[in-house]
Amino acid sequence: MLSELLRVALLGGLLAVDRAAGWNLMLGQPLVGACLAGALLNPGPEWELWALRIPLGVGVLLQLLLTDPSLPAAQKPRDVATAGVIGASVAILSLERLHPYLSLTTGGIVWVLVGTIAGLLASVAGGWMEATMRFSHQIAARRAEELVLEGKVSAFERLYWRGVARLFLRGATWSAAATVAGVAAAAMLLPHMARLTGPRAGLVFAAILGVALGAGYHTHVRTPKHGLRWAVLGALAALVVLLRVKAKGP
Amino acid sequence: MTPPPRLRPIDFARITSRSFYLQALFAPERQQGPGFAFALVPALRRLHSDALEQGRALARHMGFFGTHPVLSGYVLGVVARLEERRAQGEPIDDARIEEAKRSLASPLAALGDPLFWVTLRPLAGLAGILGLALLPLAGPIGPDLRVLVCPLLALLTYNAVALNYRVAGVTRGYEMADEPGKLLHSLQLAPLRALFGRVSAFLFGFLIVLTLVPMMESADPAGQGAAHTAQVLMPFGLAWLGTVLVLKRWPGRSVELALAAALVALVVSTRV
Repeated sequence: MLSELLRVALLGGLLAVDRAAGWNLMLGQPLVGACLAGALLNPGPEWELWALRIPLGVGVLLQLLLTDPSLPAAQKPRDVATAGVIGASVAILSLERLHPYLSLTTGGIVWVLVGTIAGLLASVAGGWMEATMRFSHQIAARRAEELVLEGKVSAFERLYWRGVARLFLRGATWSAAATVAGVAAAAMLLPHMARLTGPRAGLVFAAILGVALGAGYHTHVRTPKHGLRWAVLGALAALVVLLRVKAKGP
Repeated sequence: MTPPPRLRPIDFARITSRSFYLQALFAPERQQGPGFAFALVPALRRLHSDALEQGRALARHMGFFGTHPVLSGYVLGVVARLEERRAQGEPIDDARIEEAKRSLASPLAALGDPLFWVTLRPLAGLAGILGLALLPLAGPIGPDLRVLVCPLLALLTYNAVALNYRVAGVTRGYEMADEPGKLLHSLQLAPLRALFGRVSAFLFGFLIVLTLVPMMESADPAGQGAAHTAQVLMPFGLAWLGTVLVLKRWPGRSVELALAAALVALVVSTRV
């Protein structure tokens, strides 16, 4: 598990830098993070189908649930960058270790649920941690000003790079620690929830999917001007495409 | 006599690369101030040979600064141009540089946040999700390539627009330092936002149909009728409706809603 945790840490650190340092290349979005984690933690050919599809499911749900259309100042503090990595990692590592207790007959839905819930909880806890980082930034910024006034520009640059390294380390340690905690919690809880498979898991999945698409409606349809009009046009276009595809047959 | 100091293309490239770390020391007190100074170091090194002079020039930029990170290059370019002129002996004081910074940073933040954070980033995520719905599954042999294609679609959609602004920012800002109004207008941020908002809503409508049709088909495999389909899809429908209503009143609560919905569904599922 150590090598897997190292990969999780490396990915979590990089995505935390993308989100917090200012790269903002979209690497830190849950869909991207979850898929990258799935590709990095692929447990081997016998699991390939699930190891790739489960992170995709986790990433899609987290992407819809964690996209907040408010302006940044009005948003709740959520660590979106590591949530996808942690969710997908918990799902894959638990799947590999706990599969005797829960079957895959439901198309891996249970593991998608495990990963999504882990990702949601991680986003809230990670958001609190991000807020505490700001205090250390404030202290570093004051020290930076002192260095600059003394003419020590190189020392200022070193201090700044240490700030970037701190962001990486925070993302890395948090991703690895939260993954361990998530897998441990899954190992404790899931064996007692064998009845969750089948239609029961489907019910929980349907509820989360409903919330995710409701959040998506809020983001993509309610926020833009005339959003509903354009969404109806999109739905009609999709219906036309589906009808044409079905008319052509298999 | 030594020639007046002049910034070179390599300095613009260095400033641009450093602007990718603008928020590393982000704190409420100064926001991106230290990052702005850090990005400007290559320019000030070129313009001032003395370490104390470099330090004094840098200290002017350590205070509060806040703009949209993708558009920060334009402000950096304008300030680099003003610092260059000052180093060449033109009468440009601290207040003029500070005023130029603020007059550009605030509108760029006001136009950039709605474009990049509120519209383009969700649209890019949606493009990735649509990849999942549109691309076929892998065959019995070979991996499911959607795991690579979906994030790639999201990354390409966002960066095709954002990277363009980031790479061009410093040079454009430097060239148009005397015409900030013209510079702002030339960026076309508001029309782009309106366009991406419509595309985003259109694609979401498309996604809803691509999600609902297979769900309705799989809800009633034995052909038991519309009442059975409605019963199967009820948890999904209730969760969707509840979320739409709650988020209208209390936006930003989707995480709490998802966890609550999962818990309620779990409890209900064990009692049915």
